[in-house]
Amino acid sequence: MAAVKQTVEHVESLEKYKHGFVTDIEQDFAPKGLNADIVRFISAKKNEPDWMLAWRLDAFERWQAMEEPSWAKVNFPRIDYQDSYYYAAPKEKVGLKSLDEVDPDILETYKKLGIPLREQEVLAGVVGAPRYAVDAVFDSVSVVTTFKKELAQVGVIFCSMSEAIREHPELVRKYLGSVVPVSDNYFACLNAAVFSDGSFVYVPPGVRCPMELSTYFRINAENSGQFERTLIIADAGAYVSYLEGCTAPMRDENQLHAAVVELVVLDDAEIKYSTVQNWYPGDPQTGKGGIYNFVTKRADCRGDRSKVSWTQVETGSAITWKYPSCVLRGEGSSGEFYSIAITNGRQQADTGTKMIHLGANTRSRIISKGISAGKSSNTYRGLVSAHPKAKGARNFTQCDSLLIGKHCAAHTVPYIEARNGQAKFEHEATTTRLSEDQLFYVMQRGLSQEEAVQLLVNGFVKDVLQELPMEFAVEAQKLVAISLEGSVG
Amino acid sequence: MSLTTAIRDRDVTELPGKRDEDWRWTDLRGLIRKLPPPSEPFTADIGAGPFDALASDRRVIVNGRGADPIEIARGKNAIVAARFVSRGAGVHVARLNVIVGPDARLVLLESYESDSASISQASLTITLHPGARIERIVLAQDNAEAVNVSQAEVLHAARARFAQTVVTSGARRQRLETRVQHPGGNAELRLDGVYLLADKRHADQTTIVTHAGPDGVTAQLTKGVVRDQARGVFQGRIVVEEGADRTDARMGHHALILSDRAEVDAKPELEIYADDVACAHGNTVGALDEDALFYARQRGIPEAQARALLTEAFIGQVIDRIGHEGARDAVRAWVAERLWD
Repeated sequence: MAAVKQTVEHVESLEKYKHGFVTDIEQDFAPKGLNADIVRFISAKKNEPDWMLAWRLDAFERWQAMEEPSWAKVNFPRIDYQDSYYYAAPKEKVGLKSLDEVDPDILETYKKLGIPLREQEVLAGVVGAPRYAVDAVFDSVSVVTTFKKELAQVGVIFCSMSEAIREHPELVRKYLGSVVPVSDNYFACLNAAVFSDGSFVYVPPGVRCPMELSTYFRINAENSGQFERTLIIADAGAYVSYLEGCTAPMRDENQLHAAVVELVVLDDAEIKYSTVQNWYPGDPQTGKGGIYNFVTKRADCRGDRSKVSWTQVETGSAITWKYPSCVLRGEGSSGEFYSIAITNGRQQADTGTKMIHLGANTRSRIISKGISAGKSSNTYRGLVSAHPKAKGARNFTQCDSLLIGKHCAAHTVPYIEARNGQAKFEHEATTTRLSEDQLFYVMQRGLSQEEAVQLLVNGFVKDVLQELPMEFAVEAQKLVAISLEGSVG
Repeated sequence: MSLTTAIRDRDVTELPGKRDEDWRWTDLRGLIRKLPPPSEPFTADIGAGPFDALASDRRVIVNGRGADPIEIARGKNAIVAARFVSRGAGVHVARLNVIVGPDARLVLLESYESDSASISQASLTITLHPGARIERIVLAQDNAEAVNVSQAEVLHAARARFAQTVVTSGARRQRLETRVQHPGGNAELRLDGVYLLADKRHADQTTIVTHAGPDGVTAQLTKGVVRDQARGVFQGRIVVEEGADRTDARMGHHALILSDRAEVDAKPELEIYADDVACAHGNTVGALDEDALFYARQRGIPEAQARALLTEAFIGQVIDRIGHEGARDAVRAWVAERLWD
């Protein structure tokens, strides 16, 4: 028992959130509150065409008629949607030409976060070192996108959403809202009305994107919500790997992050989407502050033999409420979901996935690892369904939960709906604590208790970590260590 | 939203439906547009029940009437048949109390039958005292047009043992629900189920087990076979409250879908608030193993027979766990009759 007790103590004394600083810069705000004029304001700020404004206003109207959902296993006071800024942007200098003209404070912010915005920095060092292009989103707007030229040479479009609306309206009109319809759910609908920016990616037929693409989201302003919208299209035979990272300052009040991510995958194409989510989780003692992360992520495998793989490492946010999903429409298409969700302090997470098998011979795989510590609550909620036409559908699901401490909670809520006789679904779940026997065994081989726990937790999440791209795997491993600082990994 | 208030107020809008999380796959609201007339007494002969020969004592509850409580005094043994019968298209409501005293034993042989588009609701409260033992066998053979909801509340006790096997062929809509308050204290619990559904029948087996104290054991195994356009539903929830340490809970649900249009919906849930536990659930849905079928056929067994054989073996695993020999044989015969048609 002593070992476990120490583990619990170590977890309690974990390192403070290191991304909790605030950048002091001049910012443009929309007036506080939400009404049709704010929607018009955001649209005007971004010089959007009329069709976009009409789309937003329609979404806003529908949102007003909707009711906030309450079915998730999370508790939080009612959100006052009028007490928040819906648009916050660093004051822009006219005619930004190169990175040197970007506000140095913002550059400093990303430097502190370890995000390379200068292409030469990324390239520095060994030739052939892994490179990745970054779209940096600061509060409501995208401040910089790197490597655009090099990507353009192979036909890959990687830019901010607002730029895409202006430069590639035909693609945006065709695909925006086609995976997550405007009134899909309460938060997605709110996002459709007030989304400010996000990333847009289009990979043309047959192109394998030459580098990893990545977006880094940073909430900085006080009392503001972040509503970004990401749209990624992989045309026939294309491949792209996309990474997403997020942080926010430490603040006493809660901030809302309601993003929508849409992936469109055509014939034989593949998208690999990885997230390392490290929003400020709130004060571990009092539970004050932190981000409400209510995100809608969905992939539409429209093409035959298309493939989507979601990998997520969720360590931050006061409340996480998201289910990256795959609609497996194309014949022989496949979806994967690999997740590590760690909750500590007073965090609450209700996360999982949906695998909706519509086409014949579709396959899906779910590996979910939940770790709860402190006074937190961690829920896996997932749906696997097979339509009558999804003959030969296959699913394998494994959900494991690890509990550290007496006051945390771990829940598993899978929904399985099989509507034809040729689908084969397998699901297994376990909930345990760190085994005393294993700890004892490893320690008597000469490892310290801290190393022993680290080894065991690493082993517990290994299946998921190895799915991450290399650059992210390193960051994620560190994050797991920080989230459960000391003895736990 | 509950069936009870809907019946009391005779208001179909109070019926639970798709939008109620616990009833999402057993939609009464969408099905019942108008409640049948209130229940009438039925006095004609109702024939023999499935467990008559095995029981030493009987309760025959016809259209909700005749549900005298079953009480077993300290240290006594009994085998009681409780037969719920619905005759005519009414709304039949029955309540039955079962109390088993300290170190007493009861084999409860419960059965349901109906003959028309009736709505039947049975509520049972089963109380165990420390050291008591109950084996409950539920056999539901409803009419294809009937709606039947049976809900049992089990108050478990320290050192007691409660074992149950629910066997059903479904109905128009059917819900057989068991809720167990598990105090831990080395009390043992086994909750098993079998469903064999054909045509357009539906059956929902729901269990909710709440472990409130340390050292509790729960084992669950439910298996089902659906064909034609039938729909099988399994919902199992295990809650381990804070302080219910050293709880050992295992749940398994496995289903075979033998046609293209049948459906199986499952939700095996774990809700855990204690860390020193070992909880697991497994769930599989699929068709018969083609390799096993091929093997059986190349040994000279005709395909239809091979299918029945494999299905019987699949279900047999649950039946083998029934402790009372007579009940086990009766259930085995009942299952075989439905698989070898």
